[in-house]
Amino acid sequence: MGGPAASAAGACPSCGEPVGSQDSFCESCGTELAPAAVSSGEPGDAPSCPSCPSARISADGYCEECGRRAPSGRDHQELDLGLLAGVTDRGLRHYRNEDAMALATAETPAGPAALAVVCDGVSTSDRPDEASLAAAQAAIRVLLSAARSGEDLAEASSRAVQSAREAVASLAGSSGDGPSATFVSAVMTSEAVTVCWLGDSRAYWLGAGPGPDARRLTTDDSLAEEMVAAGLLAESDALASPQAHVVTRWVGADPGPSAPHVARFEPPGPGVLLLCSDGLWNYQPEAVELAELALPAALADPLGAAGTLVKFALKAGGGDNITAVLAPFPPVRPDTAALRGPSAEASDTHAEEN
Amino acid sequence: MGQPGFTVDVYQNEYLQEGGREVNAVVTVTSPDTVAAAAPAAGGAEIIIVDCSGSMGSPRTKIAEARAATVAAVDLIRDGVAFAVIAGNEKAQEVFPGDGSVAIADWQTRGLAKRAVAGLRSGGGTAIGKWLRLAHQLFASYPAGIRHAILLTDGKNQHETPEQLDGAISLCDGVFSCDCRGVGTDWEVGELRRIASALLGTVDIVADPAGLAADFAAMMETAMGKQVADVALRVWTPQHATVQFVKQVAPTVGDLTDRRTQSGPQAGDYPTGAWGPDESRDYHICVDVTPAGVGQEMLAARVSLVVGSPSGPEVLGQGMVKAVWTDDEALSTRLNRQVAHYTGQAELAEAIQEGLEARKEGDEETATAKLGRAVALAQQSGNEDTARLLAKVVDVVDAATGTVRLKKKVDAADEMTLDTRSTKTVRTKK
Repeated sequence: MGGPAASAAGACPSCGEPVGSQDSFCESCGTELAPAAVSSGEPGDAPSCPSCPSARISADGYCEECGRRAPSGRDHQELDLGLLAGVTDRGLRHYRNEDAMALATAETPAGPAALAVVCDGVSTSDRPDEASLAAAQAAIRVLLSAARSGEDLAEASSRAVQSAREAVASLAGSSGDGPSATFVSAVMTSEAVTVCWLGDSRAYWLGAGPGPDARRLTTDDSLAEEMVAAGLLAESDALASPQAHVVTRWVGADPGPSAPHVARFEPPGPGVLLLCSDGLWNYQPEAVELAELALPAALADPLGAAGTLVKFALKAGGGDNITAVLAPFPPVRPDTAALRGPSAEASDTHAEEN
Repeated sequence: MGQPGFTVDVYQNEYLQEGGREVNAVVTVTSPDTVAAAAPAAGGAEIIIVDCSGSMGSPRTKIAEARAATVAAVDLIRDGVAFAVIAGNEKAQEVFPGDGSVAIADWQTRGLAKRAVAGLRSGGGTAIGKWLRLAHQLFASYPAGIRHAILLTDGKNQHETPEQLDGAISLCDGVFSCDCRGVGTDWEVGELRRIASALLGTVDIVADPAGLAADFAAMMETAMGKQVADVALRVWTPQHATVQFVKQVAPTVGDLTDRRTQSGPQAGDYPTGAWGPDESRDYHICVDVTPAGVGQEMLAARVSLVVGSPSGPEVLGQGMVKAVWTDDEALSTRLNRQVAHYTGQAELAEAIQEGLEARKEGDEETATAKLGRAVALAQQSGNEDTARLLAKVVDVVDAATGTVRLKKKVDAADEMTLDTRSTKTVRTKK
């Protein structure tokens, strides 16, 4: 495989001036060329109520007659940045999508990099949907800037968590439990993957072989995992326990044991990195089985494969929000897609927005 | 909304178990520092109604204090506000200005009014309905934005039937608000409470006539602070939903459920009266909705503060009450602190009123049980004022369990104070 196209021609989407494939910003007008993509979405675009014959939907997304919430843009989002892609879905049993993902690509001194953050709002906290989105948005910004300037990625990951924590803390109202969310981030270069996490959203390495090579890269901060680790429960029993999903670390305003875990992983060969929320791994925690579901499609079509994983979880019950992000390794830009921004996909917004 | 709006904060547990239909929420409404109303009140109007029945003359200090209190209130009426003074016995007499209308306050009219008040003498009976009817007539003579009355009595409504009083109350409902005060201990709490709650005012006891002037001054000061009149709580609900109740729960408990006027096919207005700056009130709203499936969300109520303006109703603030069906018991079984607190405060008021009623009827068993329950609720919720008042009526053996003994001898003023103030609530820390 060759390196990235050194000087693929392109034009700035804002001013039309030519830009280099490795530029982060347009030299002419300063527009950010490959901003992060975030799974935000606005309510209230539905033309009519899915639950009754009414066609009157309020600006804040409710049917003016039966009161039922109209579908929100955030219920289902797909983001495709070429180097990586992700799908998030409300699932079948929750009324809104409290998962959030943020994806970005960067040209680093060591070649192209794929960046992703997945956060799962803690349902029992205040405004978990806003917490997850704010955390993902804040974190990807820190990671993106660090990757572009070639900073230490482990250190940047911790800073990203700090930034996410501040963003979530600023949401805290005066009532209820402070907003909080789980967190998993990954920065993949052609050399290694830097993973950082808090809570029970996971990262998996799914090797393309030859030979079985799939593993989980994270350990959950959850009661279940702690019980298993202490030898008190078998994994299957722990997952069935009602306490399984009580997370013991999170990103939020609340104080607590909350230092993030950071790990560096050097892939032994080609494969794909998976970041996911528990809405997926609840139905299939085994790395080998997940690899079987995602590969080989994920290598060439990460968006399609992420869709396959989400559909699998929906079919299995869709009991929680589901998010799956896939990033093939090594990160290589397709020659034809030197300049691929999130504007290629509908319904996403830029990280600069609040 | 271009101007500073009212803030509407909703406190609830929106999660319902599968099939759940009852949605509860506490809605906190707070007015802005300055209420720039769309319809600037075309000046206000104030009427002071003073009981001048025969009993006001014994002791003689009573009528003297009532005169002093009225003077104190008149002194606080701002320039430009329309006002009048009514003396009541078995008839109603316009003491000032005396021409069947109202006067516009300035140094001169206030002076004239005070001289007229100085001439008030006691004599005759009590027909409160007639006083209210005259006030209604005077308010009707002048187009004021904020219309408010103060009513003072020392006795029962003996010289007309309850129906006559009820007729007068419903005539005045929506026309003016009325703060009611009972002086001494020979008046009836229930009677004044009926007037005050229908006319969106406060009710209180002034056991010692010496306290009247300060109380009148405070009432008038509050009245002068009101900036926007006739504000309604508009509650929109989904089709096939029913509003179970709408209660004001702070600063006092008052049921507004039956005060609803339909304002749209799916909306009703509940009157809240006039608002001053930076005022905060809490409402407990309970709606019965048609359950949707697990994973579904419904807007169970949209709560707006609405005020009439020449260009139609203006929305001053809005909040949303939601319902979300879940199979997660950890979510659906959580009690919202505000809802639980105010459910307790409403029960506290009810227990006191029922307990005192039973005590009057000689049903000591019920009285002990109800007042005991009240003591426990007051203790749990930190309603110290009410706990103190209860302790003057019962001997508290154990507050936590509500074990009490009825006092053998209770001061009438203490009993009436407890009754009158039973509706006062405390807030929780938010």
